[in-house]
Amino acid sequence: MTVHLHRVVVRHAGRTLVDVADVHLEPGRAVTVVGESGSGKSLLAHAALGTLPAGLAVHGAMSIDGVPHDVGDQAGRRPLWGRTLALLPQEPVLALDPTMRVRDVVAEGAPTFARDRRAARRAALERLAGLGVAHAAGAYPHQLSGGMAQRVAFAAATIGEAPVLVADEPSKGLDVAARDDLAALLRRHVEGGGVLLTITHDLDLARALGGDVLVMREAEVLERGPVEQVLTTPTHPYTARLLAAEPARWAKAWMRDGGPPEGSPLLVHAEQVTRTLGGRRLFTGLDLDLRAGDRVALTGPSGSGKTTLGRVLLRRHPVDSGRVTHHDLARRRGRAPVQQLHQDPTQSFPAFVPLRAALGDAVRRHGVAPGRLEELLGTMRLDPGLLERRPGGVSGGELQRLAIIRAMLLHPALLLADEPTSRLDLLTQEETLDALMGQVEQQGTALLLVTHDTSLAHAVADREVVLPGGVTTPTAVLAGR
Amino acid sequence: MSTDLTAALAATSPAPRTRRRPRLLPRARAVAAAALVLVVLLALVGPFVWGGPALQELSRSLEPPSLAEPLGRDHLGRSVLSRLAHATRLSLALAALSVVTSALVGGLAGVVAAWIGRWVDTAINAVSEVLVAVPALLVVLLAAALADGSLLVLYVGIAIAQSVEWFRVVRARSAVVLAGPAVGTARMLDLSAWHVLHRHLWPELRPVLLTLAAFGVGTSVIALSTLGYVGVGLRPPTAELGLMITESLPFWSQAPWLVLAPVLVLAVTLLALLGVRREEPSA
Repeated sequence: MTVHLHRVVVRHAGRTLVDVADVHLEPGRAVTVVGESGSGKSLLAHAALGTLPAGLAVHGAMSIDGVPHDVGDQAGRRPLWGRTLALLPQEPVLALDPTMRVRDVVAEGAPTFARDRRAARRAALERLAGLGVAHAAGAYPHQLSGGMAQRVAFAAATIGEAPVLVADEPSKGLDVAARDDLAALLRRHVEGGGVLLTITHDLDLARALGGDVLVMREAEVLERGPVEQVLTTPTHPYTARLLAAEPARWAKAWMRDGGPPEGSPLLVHAEQVTRTLGGRRLFTGLDLDLRAGDRVALTGPSGSGKTTLGRVLLRRHPVDSGRVTHHDLARRRGRAPVQQLHQDPTQSFPAFVPLRAALGDAVRRHGVAPGRLEELLGTMRLDPGLLERRPGGVSGGELQRLAIIRAMLLHPALLLADEPTSRLDLLTQEETLDALMGQVEQQGTALLLVTHDTSLAHAVADREVVLPGGVTTPTAVLAGR
Repeated sequence: MSTDLTAALAATSPAPRTRRRPRLLPRARAVAAAALVLVVLLALVGPFVWGGPALQELSRSLEPPSLAEPLGRDHLGRSVLSRLAHATRLSLALAALSVVTSALVGGLAGVVAAWIGRWVDTAINAVSEVLVAVPALLVVLLAAALADGSLLVLYVGIAIAQSVEWFRVVRARSAVVLAGPAVGTARMLDLSAWHVLHRHLWPELRPVLLTLAAFGVGTSVIALSTLGYVGVGLRPPTAELGLMITESLPFWSQAPWLVLAPVLVLAVTLLALLGVRREEPSA
């Protein structure tokens, strides 16, 4: 089975979103499209599948095993779904039917489902067993961990034995271990003679999959070739920029080797802190001191309690035993010393209010110097016009920088950044963290960074608290840089 | 939908500030609004144009519609149009009063319960659970039966029954908003309760409240006329929509307009109220 795409063009309201001359997908060789958000990479994949939303003008030709198809006729590929073309969706927990048990969700895709439900269920169980998640067959999707949900989604996508698999940002929200797992699954599909097209902004996933890589930006493919060549010796300057945006390669003025200066005042003192959540012991007997200017990363797999620990240290989450004491972190007019950044900034602003009004309330409450807001907007290269919009009308990267401005307006002593860039692509992540760390450096703020990305933690933090995530390991490991 | 896709689409849309979701069937809403205006006009102006709802002229009993009397006269020779106008005024006035009262009582209780939580929430919620376990109309029916057709008691009964609905909706919605990261951030910034109410709660609640108000007016109108119809509401000779239906039922074959007129007013009012609701906006 081979798939060829020729001159695929997607337009909307006079703007070209995708303009790709040709893509060849062959069995046994993974093809990965990388690029920033809005580069059109997802649209390309959905154009090929025939799953684009209505309202987009689509043109192009494709052939599947020599049979020609009109890409513009999106409904034309519907009969091939599940049998020839399959999609591995992003955020599998959301893609699985929340009202159905795992084995039934998977069984629905089996070729025999319409004729023989029993056989379909057997096939589903077999497939789940083959992926090592047979024990989850009776569970509902919300009971699964991110990695397990990804395997279940993989089982559901591949049970129809479709030779062509399209994976759309499959590693989104997965921690390193789950991502490596996923890469192994996808490689297995390729090694079994399958065709694989992966859309991702995760260069590590692209490396793990091997095969060919296409770098997309602003609707076009800028560079293509074998992964090991493109992602080590890129010829296009944009690819080089993309590679330099990986945290492991950062060289920033605010990066440092030591910690805060000796004798910095103590802000937070945590003593023998223990917390159990939903029957799982997250951390036991944890001791931690935070001093002014400290940069500490809280890392570990998803569900390991990183965010909970962060909020415990902020004294915004209860502990089972132990004590967290704050020193001089009380709020009053002109001083809001503890701040937090959220993973999804849209949820941290009032949804129906223009940003200027939301920020203005904080400015007035604390008597922030006039011009300070504009000055910060300037430093973060944000257009003041953005403030007239509502949070939903601003891109994720811009809104996160606005959230940083709001947090840093009042010179906080301690900032909890909870996965602040995990929803952003590499370049936006670099820009956002650069903006954040510039302020942290300048204001001497103590930073608690919650992240599942170890290379990001290495780049930003002086030290790391690694939560093991397993149920058995009782104490947190304190790892040096 | 992938963020890539939505981001791309959002980027191509015109100025996000003015962007609105397309209204569902704007023409249907216009028709509904026009119908509602007509009903309100009937209630406001009608009683002054066609006076004497209780004026009997037995000689003109069951007179069919004519130019002078567009809806004819009932079995006691009273002007049906006059009675209809007065009945509509009564229904709408009582409905408006009940909705305002229940919105204030229920809405405030909802915000207070969600805001303070703990035992306050438990206590208010317990009261609402008890009230909700009994059908709303039964509450009003009990009140009405006790007070024997007093308008004040009917109003109190309807308002209490409706407050429960307002309380439950407002409490549920407020609790989500107040527990959300946006309000958490506002608290970390030490922003005032006024900020939380004004910027977070009110914008989130406003569309729901408008919908609830439209439904509330409808339920009140229905409750009043239902009670009148089954004979425990207001007493004759008051002109009331439900009573008018009951009184004219025996004559439906000779004078169908007697029954149809109040039914039509009820149907138009309720459909128009449903039709004018705006779709809830999304952020």
